[in-house]
Amino acid sequence: MTFEPICEKCEELIQPYLDRELDEAERLEAETHLAGCEYCGKRYRFEASLRRYVRQACCSEQMSPELKDKLAALRTALDA
Amino acid sequence: MAEPETDARRLATEARDRVRFEEEVLDLADQVYRVARRLVSSREEAEDLVQETYARAFRSWRSYTPGTNLRAWLMRILTNLNIDRGRREQRSPDMQPMEEGDYFLYNRLEETSGPADEERIVERLSQDSIVDALTAVPHDFRDVIVLVDIGDFSYQEAAQILDVPIGTVMSRLHRGRRILKSQLAEAAVGEES
Repeated sequence: MTFEPICEKCEELIQPYLDRELDEAERLEAETHLAGCEYCGKRYRFEASLRRYVRQACCSEQMSPELKDKLAALRTALDA
Repeated sequence: MAEPETDARRLATEARDRVRFEEEVLDLADQVYRVARRLVSSREEAEDLVQETYARAFRSWRSYTPGTNLRAWLMRILTNLNIDRGRREQRSPDMQPMEEGDYFLYNRLEETSGPADEERIVERLSQDSIVDALTAVPHDFRDVIVLVDIGDFSYQEAAQILDVPIGTVMSRLHRGRRILKSQLAEAAVGEES
């Protein structure tokens, strides 16, 4: 099925809920709403998986050991 | 008469504080690099930016107040340096139509390759296309996405790092995520054809 933007509550709650930016009362409101609203529940799962996936894709590249050494060499404390 | 001794003690304390500061800053290097890598488009640029950030952080260690958020302090240096590097020549954020709802991407993924579980459907996108889509998000919006979604900073911390009101962080995040999703939707169509 195709999701239609039918639920205003989503706009208010899902992003800050995923960002853990809601206070306790708002968090409870979001969770109650998500449990009872099929549209928002699906949307929440989609958004959460998208964020995990973006994070995974964007954090896969590690800093090179050479750069680490260069940064350590920039320290000045031991020279003083 | 005791003065030289006091001075020596003060210097020793300062040296110890400085060593501790430098160690803590170096411990954050992986996290700093991850954010830097997504703020700029190439690995070389990210490495330069991180080195400049560390050079400046080590020089200005006295301006850090012990016990405050060191990660945010470092990131503020990094984002300021990145802005100073003249990265502002970019396309206007207004060029893209933002009329689609937040589910545009989901719908597009379903249209191009059939129904799927909402938790698995994103796997139809390649990891490269995710990186490319994020790179295509205009800087002001990308900065906020990278700080919050990759750097794990709160809205409040991101606001302090970028020196903008928290409401601006929230609106840029909202808009930026929509831009990211519309970029991904385009990529989904491209990968299909």
